[in-house]
Amino acid sequence: MAKKGTVRVYVGTRKGGYVVESDLARRKWNVKGPFHEGRDVFHVVPDPRHEGTVYAAVNSGWWGPMLMKSTNGGAKWTELATPNMPLMKKRPAPGTPESEKRPITNLWHIEPGRVDEPDTVYLGVDPASLYRSDDGGKSWEGVAGINEHETRPKWNPGAGGMCLHTILLDPTRPKRMYVGISAAGTFRSDDGGEHFRPVNQGVKVSFLPEKNPPFGQCVHKIAFDPAEPDTLYRQDHDGIYVSHDAMESWKHIGRPLSDDFGFVVTAPKSMPGNAFFAPLHGMSRIFDGSHVQVWRWNDRARSWAKTIQGRPWPGDIGTHREGLASDDLDPAGIYLGTTSGQLFFSNDGAKKWGLIPYTFPAIHSVTAGSPPSR
Amino acid sequence: MASVRLDGMLKEFLPRLKLSTDAVSVRMLLEDLEAQYPRIRSKLRDENGRLRPYVRVFVNGEDVHELKGLDTPIGAADSVDVLHSIQGG
Repeated sequence: MAKKGTVRVYVGTRKGGYVVESDLARRKWNVKGPFHEGRDVFHVVPDPRHEGTVYAAVNSGWWGPMLMKSTNGGAKWTELATPNMPLMKKRPAPGTPESEKRPITNLWHIEPGRVDEPDTVYLGVDPASLYRSDDGGKSWEGVAGINEHETRPKWNPGAGGMCLHTILLDPTRPKRMYVGISAAGTFRSDDGGEHFRPVNQGVKVSFLPEKNPPFGQCVHKIAFDPAEPDTLYRQDHDGIYVSHDAMESWKHIGRPLSDDFGFVVTAPKSMPGNAFFAPLHGMSRIFDGSHVQVWRWNDRARSWAKTIQGRPWPGDIGTHREGLASDDLDPAGIYLGTTSGQLFFSNDGAKKWGLIPYTFPAIHSVTAGSPPSR
Repeated sequence: MASVRLDGMLKEFLPRLKLSTDAVSVRMLLEDLEAQYPRIRSKLRDENGRLRPYVRVFVNGEDVHELKGLDTPIGAADSVDVLHSIQGG
């Protein structure tokens, strides 16, 4: 008997968000949207703890950042307060002192909290800051351990701004979390966010006078190995790295590739010891050789394999840092969104690839939701 | 009372685009609007109360940036326009 369930891929684009649905076979896809039409949707993420709940990081050039929440899978959305700007119901009293705040330029990444903290949500923004909500996004508190970090005065923005774009919660150690900031590097906390320390040893920096500084790396994306959370895979401005000791040290693994610049990485739950990258040409930020390519790193064999044979999709195409995702199914579904608006998919762990027959606006982010019947 | 016209793109955040006000400054007008329609707060101003870069407020046709900013006075016979400048692509 066929398994039942719906796989949903949430797509954030330059002009709105979309939900792309399929059954568990993941052969035919139905595109719904756009929602938040015309706006930059940097990230759309389902909350696996609350079926139907989806958060969206929406950024408007006119009206600033807007944090949106849906409780019915994206059919209807409600605006939440963004950090530092609670929805006020009355005028402040005349003369109320206002402390100077760091205005938020863009909302970048939303990370639902752990299973035993059902209403906790984390939010990463530009300028590099982390916020935590314990009431499903109604109110937010800054995480001072990283927002006021002693190294902050020496952080610099990457081309996309000084964004906190990666938030990783260690699945086995409740107090351990990591953040990634462009271009400040990766930081680890072992006390629930009270304190962070930079963890970038071994990651080179080509754009600073010091080539191996403790922080200042332009990290683009990081992913946990699904079976071994002390193993993390990292795509940096300056190459592809792996850590086997919870980021205490990093090894450069991207050398065999023609160019290991890139933005994305994903490590599917059903494929322990494997991570997928879509490296780009370092100068042009498009696929080397002018065709779409995804590479698999086998960490046990310490080897690379090309997953798209030939040149079925030629073109000068790039990706943004949230543009690669995988679902939790076995075999794994892997999804690649491009800056040209294509959404590629594999339903068999990247043995074969297909293209969803819909051209989206430039894709910022792709997130795969878990089917309810999981 | 002064008359106020708001940009049509703001109708997503408040129900009326034409209204009258007894506010005596632009700041007070915005605070009144924000108290009545909380979602408008973050759309017009940033975390420090400054107008967002693409939001333009005019009193009798003059940009408040060229007057006294948010402290520009509003008189009973004045007209106020809250607009946004063209942006995007």
